[in-house]
Amino acid sequence: MNCSEVRTRLPAYVDGELTVSEIAAVEGHCLECRQCAALVGAERELRQLLRRQPRETAPLELRARIRRGIRREAAVGRARRWLPVAAVAAAAAIVAFVLVPSRRTPPPLVADLVDKHIAYAQIERPAELASTDPREVVEWFQARAGMRVTVPDYSPAGIHLAGARLAEAHERKAAYLLYEKGRTLLSVFMVPGSVADATFPGRRVSYRGHEYITDERKGFRTVSWTDGQAIYGLVSVLDYDALLECADRLREERARQTRL
Amino acid sequence: MALVHLDALYDVALRLTRNRAEAEDVVQEACLRAFRSFDRFNPGTNCRAWLFTILRNVFLNRIRSRGHEVPEAETGGLEQAETTITAHAEPNPEERFLQTMVHGDIERALGTLPLSYREAVILVDIEGLTYREVADVLDCPIGTVMSRLSRGRALLRRGLVRFAREHGYVKEEDE
Repeated sequence: MNCSEVRTRLPAYVDGELTVSEIAAVEGHCLECRQCAALVGAERELRQLLRRQPRETAPLELRARIRRGIRREAAVGRARRWLPVAAVAAAAAIVAFVLVPSRRTPPPLVADLVDKHIAYAQIERPAELASTDPREVVEWFQARAGMRVTVPDYSPAGIHLAGARLAEAHERKAAYLLYEKGRTLLSVFMVPGSVADATFPGRRVSYRGHEYITDERKGFRTVSWTDGQAIYGLVSVLDYDALLECADRLREERARQTRL
Repeated sequence: MALVHLDALYDVALRLTRNRAEAEDVVQEACLRAFRSFDRFNPGTNCRAWLFTILRNVFLNRIRSRGHEVPEAETGGLEQAETTITAHAEPNPEERFLQTMVHGDIERALGTLPLSYREAVILVDIEGLTYREVADVLDCPIGTVMSRLSRGRALLRRGLVRFAREHGYVKEEDE
């Protein structure tokens, strides 16, 4: 890619809308072109500025007015269309799903993981076990919870293991690994279970022949996937390329261990 | 009972209309329409994007019903040229001052964008929708979303730099 090709793709690059091969081409170019690299920084900065915009909340009075309106509509519809009550109730239930959070539809697992990532980043000791030794962490999970956890080594990418903890996600015991790249945290979650009981919103991305779901929440990027036995989720502000690379390595390592 | 997406709808309505009373009316009408047409919502898709589509239609209809032109056409000629704007824009020291911008400035700069650029920036940058979702909301090709976004951001950046100059954060000769 030349400068002009890279620059027309910059917004899509910053928005995470490029394919993995395009991302690689843009980043490869930026390693050698300082002007383009600076433009990436400027583009990101503006985007972050907008993302940090304070949001308006709807006035309570408006909320109440809309609720009254919906109730009235439902009543009118019932009378006018002479619909059986059950049909109206079914319609109301669907709208409830659309507009009203129901206790029965939990937020997606990945939302839970992002919240955990944020919460852990704020506490003084995010890791129960502070350790930079993968073997120690593997043994700790085994002894503590009987979990067979894979602890990948990301140090060639400058991402270092900092510790681990037992976490809970969707009311299930989960393994949590904490990595650091400088002052940037990377959270790796492993939640035993299958996709059947978790929803995965986001974009499907194929990376080195495997499918991943990427999603952005509360300013953090997530990459998740499943191997049928567990659901894996990575959360960080690191870019998708780095996260997908980490995901791929964990997947490979996990597959290798299962074969043993 | 709580309307989960109401705050997002209200926030976007406010940015589109730039008027509280108008935003409230638009949101209320959009919610009632969503209720009436819930059977057209495809459950596998982004609910917020679907609601934004309805919200935007309500907003545009209100503009039209007052006999105003929907300011879509005003930007038609610019779109083509735009993809190259970022290509020639070099980062300059002023970019650093973007960080010092106060909330009101961003609000003001966003408000000066032509509607078609403003809505693309709001939906992608503030609401975090994907290009595909925004293309559905705006009923246009993804390429158009990208060019509007690119153009919108470039204009926004220019507006912010102008405000920074007004505040004296950057000097005229830095330009």
